[in-house]
Amino acid sequence: MSKENFSIIGKPVALVDSAGKTTGQGKYADDLSIPGMLIGKILHSHLPHAKIKKIDFSRALELEGVVTVVIGKDAPNTYGILPVGHDETALAVEKVRYVGDNVACVVAETESIAEAALELIDVEYEPLPAWFDPEDSMKATANFIHEQRPSNLEKDYHHSFGDPDAGFAQADVVLENRYVANEVTHAAMEPHCTLASFEFDPQTGLEGRLTVQSSTQVPYYLQHKLSIVLDMPMSQIRVIKPLVGGGFGGKSEIIPLEIIAAVAARKAKAPVKITYTREEVFLAHRGRPRTIIDLKTGIKNDGSITAVAAKVIQDGGAYCSYGVVTILYSGALLGALYDIPNIKYDGYRVLTNKPACGAMRGHGTVNVRFAFESQLDELAAKIGMDPLAVRRKNLLKPPCITVNGLRVQSYGLPECIDVVARESKWSERGKNRKKSRGLGMACSHYVSGAASSIIRSDMPHSTVNIKIDRDGGVVVYTGASDIGQGSDTMVAQIAAEVLGCKLGRVKVVAADTDLTPVDIGSYSSRVTFMNGNATLRAAEEIKRKIVAAASRKMACSPEDVIMREDVVYKKGMSPQTSSLLEKVLGKKDDAPTVSGHVEGQILRGSVQQKRKEEGPKDKLSFEEAVTAAMDNTGALTGSGSYAPPLEAKGGKHKGGGVGPSPAYSYSAQVADVTVDEETGEVTVNKIWAAHDCGRALNPVSVEGQVIGSVWMGLGQALQEEFVWKDGLLMNAGMLEYKSPSATESPEIESFIVESIDPEGPFGAKEASEGSLAAAIPAIANAIYDAVGVRLRESPFTPERVLSAIRAKNNLKKIEMTNRVDPTAPHKLREHGGSLWFKGRGPKRHEDDPARRAEHAD
Amino acid sequence: MSLPEFKLLRPRSVEEAVGMLHRHQGEIQICAGGTDLLPSMKQRLFAPKYLMDIRGIDGLERIRVTPGLGVELGALTTLSAVEDSGFISKNYPVLHEAVKTVASPILRNMGTMGGNISLDTRCLWYNQSLQWRKSCGFCIKKDGDLCHVAPGGKKCWAAFSADTPAALLCLSAEVNIASPQGYRRVPIAQLYNNDGVDRIKLAKTDMITSIYLPESSAGWSGAYKKLRMRGSIDYPLAGVAVAVKYRGKTVEDARVAITGVNPAPHLIPDAPHALVGRELNEHAAMVVGELAARVAKPLTTSLLTPEYRREMVRVYAKRAVMAAGAASSN
Repeated sequence: MSKENFSIIGKPVALVDSAGKTTGQGKYADDLSIPGMLIGKILHSHLPHAKIKKIDFSRALELEGVVTVVIGKDAPNTYGILPVGHDETALAVEKVRYVGDNVACVVAETESIAEAALELIDVEYEPLPAWFDPEDSMKATANFIHEQRPSNLEKDYHHSFGDPDAGFAQADVVLENRYVANEVTHAAMEPHCTLASFEFDPQTGLEGRLTVQSSTQVPYYLQHKLSIVLDMPMSQIRVIKPLVGGGFGGKSEIIPLEIIAAVAARKAKAPVKITYTREEVFLAHRGRPRTIIDLKTGIKNDGSITAVAAKVIQDGGAYCSYGVVTILYSGALLGALYDIPNIKYDGYRVLTNKPACGAMRGHGTVNVRFAFESQLDELAAKIGMDPLAVRRKNLLKPPCITVNGLRVQSYGLPECIDVVARESKWSERGKNRKKSRGLGMACSHYVSGAASSIIRSDMPHSTVNIKIDRDGGVVVYTGASDIGQGSDTMVAQIAAEVLGCKLGRVKVVAADTDLTPVDIGSYSSRVTFMNGNATLRAAEEIKRKIVAAASRKMACSPEDVIMREDVVYKKGMSPQTSSLLEKVLGKKDDAPTVSGHVEGQILRGSVQQKRKEEGPKDKLSFEEAVTAAMDNTGALTGSGSYAPPLEAKGGKHKGGGVGPSPAYSYSAQVADVTVDEETGEVTVNKIWAAHDCGRALNPVSVEGQVIGSVWMGLGQALQEEFVWKDGLLMNAGMLEYKSPSATESPEIESFIVESIDPEGPFGAKEASEGSLAAAIPAIANAIYDAVGVRLRESPFTPERVLSAIRAKNNLKKIEMTNRVDPTAPHKLREHGGSLWFKGRGPKRHEDDPARRAEHAD
Repeated sequence: MSLPEFKLLRPRSVEEAVGMLHRHQGEIQICAGGTDLLPSMKQRLFAPKYLMDIRGIDGLERIRVTPGLGVELGALTTLSAVEDSGFISKNYPVLHEAVKTVASPILRNMGTMGGNISLDTRCLWYNQSLQWRKSCGFCIKKDGDLCHVAPGGKKCWAAFSADTPAALLCLSAEVNIASPQGYRRVPIAQLYNNDGVDRIKLAKTDMITSIYLPESSAGWSGAYKKLRMRGSIDYPLAGVAVAVKYRGKTVEDARVAITGVNPAPHLIPDAPHALVGRELNEHAAMVVGELAARVAKPLTTSLLTPEYRREMVRVYAKRAVMAAGAASSN
């Protein structure tokens, strides 16, 4: 059904910005430079929680080449990505809240001078007791991380849908387990970078308009928060997004350097660029929080799930960030994958003295999905049912609204399961079983954007303008932020398909708040669905104008006008004609071409020539039709916007705005793993991943996104985790934070399932996040299948796997996961001129699989 | 992060280089491939006044075979060159195996044999930026006086983290060292101190110029097994090298060495007794594993726990012995 007669949609298209990226011509933020530009370097706190008593930067100012030093009181207004979480300032005002918090920024002529000056800033701190473990932190009675958040509880939610108690009563088997997913981060290839510069008023000499070029997924939010912190009208701030080298959520909110660079540029009266070191990227973080999940699921002997109850505690770090949304997603997305009649959810987002966690690919759903899909396998084993059959038993029957208020329309999960079952030869897995090798499966899903935006506004979530002028070029002005995922290409494809022109004719101007209408940003997998729909509507508006003019020229009704591949013709006629663009680009260009050719100049002679009087025609070139539509007017313009329908906005309960989406993507995966029983090392041999993305607008992009999601899940499943020592991040770099390298990356075979969503542009929905979550439980389930051990703490490092295997085989216990070096410090102490935090080590839940030997004080 | 300021020196001969070392004693550091030193300088672990780039010295990047004596690897021979040498892989397979596990292909193109054997010891509390190290109050290896992994003592336990020295120990390699007093040859087994700070027995005016592999070690079958979290890039968290000389199916001589778990690489003293005069079998391999694990003293210098690393020394030693046996029967 997907192979409808499109000319561009559904075809594998090279990303329109790939040439610049591969030749080095493309400019990322750190490639930018403007005359007089200075470099900013940030001084970070070395204490996890402390009052700032005094900052003396006079010695730093004396260093030659230092222009100024910025501190908290230079811009004390609070901001935060969520309206309920305005708890950050550009630089610490009264106290620091984690090792790495921002204390001061030196602005100097060069990076090395700025770095040297950091050593000359004297900060006097008064250390405060700090909180590192969320379950401890929640018990706090004093020394709160934020005064307005007693007990260090950022937010808690308690939801009950259906009748969970009755549901559990109906169950034949009920399981309760604790799962822990450790903290991971995005590790995007490009470190954050911001270049801020003010124009100066020629009359007064005061600073005027501000231009910020930044590695961001959310230019509009950045413009908004800059206006709050700098006390400037939004209209005086221009945010431009250059090429971005990956975000994954790590650039989906305002990162401290973006605000600091602007404040510094104002104080220095010169452009300031700040580029994070990799260590600073890790400390800015905003990744996926360490999550403790106490999960209870009830199931009948026939495999139907009767109820789910989850208690989720997220270790959110020192600031709210997206935390309230994360904790809500964790509960809401228990629904909309399977048919679960009763859901109980208790979510706690807790503050601790560590870098703030935020949104990361698969925001909120990933860790809970790991727990749920793992437990579902255990339940299946208890009732003697195939893991795949259990999942098939609990499918939704769309269109429907789930018990927690999520509207599901298109639903490709059954087909996803069928595909991976077939391709992995699931039903034959019992035959020729190899020792220590196993298969595991899991499913996941994700939103195609949130139906209610985080800024609680009724404005459209996306607006797109299109302009066609006499040069015959189509320019799309979109706020969509291409961060490598290919939104520029998506927008160009949709515009070209609707307008019936070649892709090479479309130029995309994107993510520049002066030029492009508001789009709320590239996050929660909303761009294709929402910005795509807005583009579709803008293109349709402009198409109506062209069709009207063409129908007059061809003396037919507008319904009979077809626009396709640069030809405008009457229905029933052969479209064979050579367009002017074809003459320029050559006839053979079946392969869509990269935009940006200067066809306008070559076309000028013919498009602008005086129109000769002539009789009705059967077909027109694109240029002729466009010129006819302009007639005596100027450029053609069209505008379209998208706001999610009311029906998709979910229930009325508190926090009910998070989770509802116009459409959900679905994924099913099977992992094939081998476990080395002597070393605990897990090798993933292959993963089959099927993803329902509604319609694949650009199949090669979709496959890339699915493979990337699975691969990222693989990292979280096997080796990536933040390791803490009392608030100190021990692996803040790419050498010790173990993202998989090419050598241990398995073959990932992706399959596209097209459910054609009724509201998505050409039926498209989410493609870039939904496949992440299933990878982790699929691997956990495969490990169980291979060696019979159940891993309930991710990542499944060799130590954890080997410990579990030894426990299962009743071998002598080696405390491999407890970091119980007998000589390790029991108490942190004052030492070496700087202060160690004096406090107690973390206490953990007694069932916590990560429970470590308690630090005797 | 930027490099600290330094003056770059580029000697053209060993004599000139040694002269510079003598003149700027204590303020100068040797840079060959720079793959380990330059990141460490950015972290302010080193801020020498002079950096001496020795790559302009002619003749130090050769693999020179002298029949009857053995082979001499110039200190500047890149790890890639050793990896690509058919002579080395045929005659000294244990070295070939170890070399190809170092870092990643790109880093091996820059990294040198001399640099690898004189690699700095590594620890989670040490290989961090200046900003980070301030947060922990520094450590005994740099700027502080406490070892965070063993705070009771005054010793630094940073782990020796180069791969090739384990193989070189198995081959009874010798190191040629130039100094103002002339050249001297030191068995690699006597090169290291087992101290995280004072890791290597080189005077401030010494420079390694080459490594000798004796002909008596040629033709031994060998294997190297490396514990790391990723299949590429990572330093060893434990490494075991095994070299075995056969007469028929019987082991005539054998050496086993470990790296990555102590402040120095170590030969396993009793391993030859467990192997010599026997045919290689699983039992003998397990005995060697136990012996190796007894020598290993890993502490919390890495993200993997000491207990796990010690256990892996046992498993990897057993596997390396078996692999060396399998390699010989091919």
